[in-house]
Amino acid sequence: MMEEMTMTATRQGPPARLRWTTVFLLMAGLLWGSLPAWGGVRIDISKGGLTPLPIAVPAFVNLGGDGQVATSGVMGSQIAEVVTADLERSGLFRPISRSAFLQMPDSLWKSGPQFRDWRIIGAEAVVTGAARQEGDQVVVDFFLYDVFQGALIGKGKRFTASQRNWRHVAHRVADEIYTRLTGETGYFTSRIAYVSQKGESKRLIMMDQDSANPVELTHGEHLVLTPRFSPDGDNLFHISYSTGAPRIFRMDLISGSTSQQGEYPGLNSAPAWAPDGKRMALTLSMDGNPEIYVKDVGVGQPVRLTNHAAIDTSPSWSPDGRRIVFNSDRAGSPQLYVMGAGGGEPRRITFEGNYNAAPAWSPRGDLIAFVHGGGGRFRIAVVTPEGKNMRVLTDSWMDESPTWSPNGRVILFSRQQGSRSQLYSIDLTGYNERLVPVGGDAEGSDPSWSPLIR
Amino acid sequence: MNRSRWLAVALLSLSLGLLSGCGSTPKGDEAGADGADGKGVGRLGGSSANLNDPSRAGSGAGGYRFDVNVEPEHRIYFDYNSALINDRSAQVLAHNAGWILAHGPKGTITIEGHCDERGTREFNLALGQQRADAAVRFLVAQGMPANRLKAVSFGKEKPLVPSHDDSAWSKNRRVEITLR
Repeated sequence: MMEEMTMTATRQGPPARLRWTTVFLLMAGLLWGSLPAWGGVRIDISKGGLTPLPIAVPAFVNLGGDGQVATSGVMGSQIAEVVTADLERSGLFRPISRSAFLQMPDSLWKSGPQFRDWRIIGAEAVVTGAARQEGDQVVVDFFLYDVFQGALIGKGKRFTASQRNWRHVAHRVADEIYTRLTGETGYFTSRIAYVSQKGESKRLIMMDQDSANPVELTHGEHLVLTPRFSPDGDNLFHISYSTGAPRIFRMDLISGSTSQQGEYPGLNSAPAWAPDGKRMALTLSMDGNPEIYVKDVGVGQPVRLTNHAAIDTSPSWSPDGRRIVFNSDRAGSPQLYVMGAGGGEPRRITFEGNYNAAPAWSPRGDLIAFVHGGGGRFRIAVVTPEGKNMRVLTDSWMDESPTWSPNGRVILFSRQQGSRSQLYSIDLTGYNERLVPVGGDAEGSDPSWSPLIR
Repeated sequence: MNRSRWLAVALLSLSLGLLSGCGSTPKGDEAGADGADGKGVGRLGGSSANLNDPSRAGSGAGGYRFDVNVEPEHRIYFDYNSALINDRSAQVLAHNAGWILAHGPKGTITIEGHCDERGTREFNLALGQQRADAAVRFLVAQGMPANRLKAVSFGKEKPLVPSHDDSAWSKNRRVEITLR
């Protein structure tokens, strides 16, 4: 779908080691385990303390067939806008207003940065780029500079894709910038599937993580719930009532075909892909009570993992596929438990609050996001798989369905306010809560965040 | 269609006062604990309630008068996070079983389990299933053939009352006996 190559011909410099006091420290402190010791339950909504990195993303120039800068064309400007929006939305970057720029894009591309001009306006990094058409392809080159060191960060990079996927190219650029400046994989080339509601009808929608390119996957004939991307991003589990009862279906996003995942008496729900994409966990009530089972995707007999008179549901796999976190009210209220992927004695990991549910194991493996209910409110929280360091991230009344960005940095969830449900995202630190628009007057719920789409 | 006819008749019955008491709803009790009132039928269907014989309808302790010529109320209600069938629900179900066996249509009867909006989608799907299953087990114990009953959970997807308070929630935590 897309080619990329590292550019070595021009402007190559030694990779610069940055002294990012903001982004780097944030990453080092929060992503690699040395979490500050918050004592017990505490809402971490102190929005101060995070200083996003000032970055300049001028319009990319448009190149003509002769490789010279063209005076017309909008692609370069559009790409820069998508990159800017991605970086800004992450909360880790503060793109500087283009009206403040002293060096114009043409000069920037032809001569490289006049670093003094970028220092003056407070930029710590500056991006240069160019876009050109080759047949029905768009080819984008970009470079990233450390303004204070006056040097390239990494090498230049070229991305090629079909014209209609130009936004994807822009997201690749944003991913590169994010990765180079934070040391973490980006997440901008990813999608969101969710349930859209208009009136009484619910349908599955898939869109880019920045809400662009929405595609309607089901069309409102039947009640649909809980889409779940496969680990390769090519398939979507969901629940449909097309047979009159809740049944699990797999939609092949490439071919568009849909197939039912078995037909078991009673409840069929909570499909969860194993990280290998070959097995799934699910909830069935065919043995008299909602229990968690594992089976091969598509075929095979379900093997029962839990055995308790209470409700057991909402399984989520650890990224190494060895453990499953799930939701059970066996102790009288819904709480989270972790068990081996083959079953065995579950270990309870939540103890505070009378309703802990909908666990989602981070792709990074170190945290589990979930819905924390207490005092009549339902909020998004995280806890380690060992049940330590629980932190409540959101501060609303009815938040649910947490799902992780592919890099385990951001949590997407749905929030009901009054009668209306919308999608929101929040950084795992509890900073940078954002509305994720779903367009028009539709409501959004049941989000699932895809893996990276390459 | 059948369902709406049932509802119409049930409403008519209510208006005629034939079903005194059965239309009232439980309090918005959020205690949540199973068997908080010490009565009723457990989730597992381990029935311990004294069931009324439908043929002796009208003798129930709740003053529920059953007229075999009129359809009984087709909904029962639950406490928060509970699938426990309380005494009143047991009476309603028993009378439904009697009425269906005596007068009801043939074919499959769907027992829908519903929840209020609080809590997660998947947990509520499971809870709705438990509620529907509990009602099915009860109806089977009343002599309904199991193969005529189908339990379907709608979780919190189909609230009866679309508002967001204790009163609405108490009506949304329910099982409906429906003909489809």
